[in-house]
Amino acid sequence: MLPELFFGYFAAVIILLSVIVITRRNPVHSVMWMLLLFFHIAGLYLFLNAEFIAAIQVIVYAGAILVLFLFVLLLLNLREELKVKRFVGAWPAGLFITTAILVIVLGAVKSFVPGPAGKYSIEFIKQETHTKALGKLLYTDYLFPFEIASLVLLVAIIGAIVLAKRKTRSK
Amino acid sequence: MTVREFIKTIFFVEILKGLALTLRSMFTPAVTRRYPKVKRPVKPGFRGLHALAKDKNGRMKCVGCGLCGAYCPSKCIYIYTSDGEDHTKVVDRYEIEVLRCIYCGFCVEACPFGAITLSEHYEYSDYSREPFYMTKEKLLSNWDKYFAGEKGKNYFKKFWRPLSEDFRTPEGQAVFNKIKNAK
Amino acid sequence: MSDILNILITEETLNMLMKIGIIFLKIAVVLGITLLHVAYATYWERKVIGHMQVRLGPIEVGWHGFLQPIADGVKLFFKEDIIPANADKPLFYLAPVIFMVSALTSLSVLPFFDGFVIADINIGLLFLFAMSSLGAYGIILSGWASNSKYSFLGGLRSASQVISYEIAMGLSLVGVMMMAGSLNLSDIVRAQHQYPTGMFAIPQFLGFFVFIVAAFAETNRLPFDLPEAESELVAGYFTEYSGFRFALFFLGEYTAMLIMSSIAALCFLGGWTIPKFITDAMPLLMNVPGIVWFLIKVYAFMFFYYWVRATLPRYRYDQLMAIGWKILIPLALFNIVLTGTLRTMGVL
Repeated sequence: MLPELFFGYFAAVIILLSVIVITRRNPVHSVMWMLLLFFHIAGLYLFLNAEFIAAIQVIVYAGAILVLFLFVLLLLNLREELKVKRFVGAWPAGLFITTAILVIVLGAVKSFVPGPAGKYSIEFIKQETHTKALGKLLYTDYLFPFEIASLVLLVAIIGAIVLAKRKTRSK
Repeated sequence: MTVREFIKTIFFVEILKGLALTLRSMFTPAVTRRYPKVKRPVKPGFRGLHALAKDKNGRMKCVGCGLCGAYCPSKCIYIYTSDGEDHTKVVDRYEIEVLRCIYCGFCVEACPFGAITLSEHYEYSDYSREPFYMTKEKLLSNWDKYFAGEKGKNYFKKFWRPLSEDFRTPEGQAVFNKIKNAK
Repeated sequence: MSDILNILITEETLNMLMKIGIIFLKIAVVLGITLLHVAYATYWERKVIGHMQVRLGPIEVGWHGFLQPIADGVKLFFKEDIIPANADKPLFYLAPVIFMVSALTSLSVLPFFDGFVIADINIGLLFLFAMSSLGAYGIILSGWASNSKYSFLGGLRSASQVISYEIAMGLSLVGVMMMAGSLNLSDIVRAQHQYPTGMFAIPQFLGFFVFIVAAFAETNRLPFDLPEAESELVAGYFTEYSGFRFALFFLGEYTAMLIMSSIAALCFLGGWTIPKFITDAMPLLMNVPGIVWFLIKVYAFMFFYYWVRATLPRYRYDQLMAIGWKILIPLALFNIVLTGTLRTMGVL
């Protein structure tokens, strides 16, 4: 009973917070609600015994990316921003598409079947600690995708530097 | 950057020196004077609160000539006199606005009779402006308070200027040396 | 009625209530002791810096000014609470709370001595990072919500400073994680006790150096106190705060300092243990309780904070960024590579 209640609370609050985030007039308030949202997502990860992912969620998303969001927002003229229309004209179309997807997902829920239980059961994770298990997997079985992901990030970093660097006139 | 400078930079020689200095000064005794408890000894001749001097018979020395008021750069001395019996000049009021005084001591120097003095007393802060308006009575009682006994006499001997010796020819001056040499 | 009660009050629920009660007791003890430490950290800071500048520091209130922090607290509590006219009120109220809470929450994973920790979690170190990065929100929000130039500049500076140094600090501790093979702070301390030198500060001297510098920057202390540079920004991000909200920022800053000192003590200086070769030489020291060693290390690090503050001037902002990105992060990365190589070779 308790786990279901727990999950129900987190799922409901996450949806509620997402709606709040996109409907705030003041972008800084939006960011603060998003912070709360990230904490609830981290809570959901903890609920799944993924403590490492939960910590990374808070450190990377809440601690770094959201701070950068805030940083950009602070450089905008928020007094102007408050008067601008918040949604683009096409929002009914977006709402229609998302509702349609929701209906399809809800319809498909019945045909979901849980996959076969693998080696990484909860007991195994608890004994091995999540961080270690994740690290071992990432650096053995999934090394290639992991490296590709880091390469993609590297490309993004270099791209950002190239864009941001001031062009110096060649002599 | 030479090798020596490089080694100095990576081992923070300068910062370590600074840290050593602050640590050393931590164990030297503090120079703080805890003021209301420990008072700074006043140097003799300090120019503090005003007082009107009394003579041997306990009468006010001031004759009301008004030179002090005329000299005062901030114009904070007010003197009111009147015609007394057998045409003697009577000083009715002698008042100093202490908040405007700049303690230059010109009044002391201007006074031909050594009547106005500056005492060594300096702690006279208050919550209103009235106590800083010195009337004749207050100034006279200041004399009793701050120049009691020998102190008043010594003050005039040591610090009251100008004395007659101040008007002697200064001997060290180059002009006079020339005349001496010529002789 | 009594049936329902009987069902509810089983041995299991009683045990659970006992456990929760013990946790609350621990929280109360840790919070109380920490807040007392924070109050006296301000006192000792003023005292130490005073003597380093050949002054006396606070001396009038109580014996050698010992009641000064209490007098300050009472004063701040009864001061008028001023809110700027155009401030964003909800965020203005929220900012000091976030700052303080993020600092105090970090206390829950610190093992003060063997077995005494509120929450013995496997990701203790990561939890500390998460909480310290959360503290940046308090600073940025207070800067933005105050609707003041000085606060805003302080907030902006702090945002970029904390993000930059967070990376260096995280990387500097990776070496420790590799040496200990765990993220649990108690396990890290135990691993150090097993290690021949007894402290990771010796094999991890590079990491320790990077950590110290990053810790100074993370807590906005001199020589990296640009977010609250008095001579340029009045008081930086908390310029507009007064009364008890100001006190919250003050307490948060000192709590953060205590936590950084605790992390240094736990991850690099051996926590509640002392190196084995010392106990072998002097077996009498075995009888000293672990909390004493832990506190000595924390106090020493706090003293170092004050000492540096009394010695070094403030860096320029571009220098700060250059130190963070061009020196500390490469150094920390080099340390990771070095540690990894030596570990696989079996030297460390």
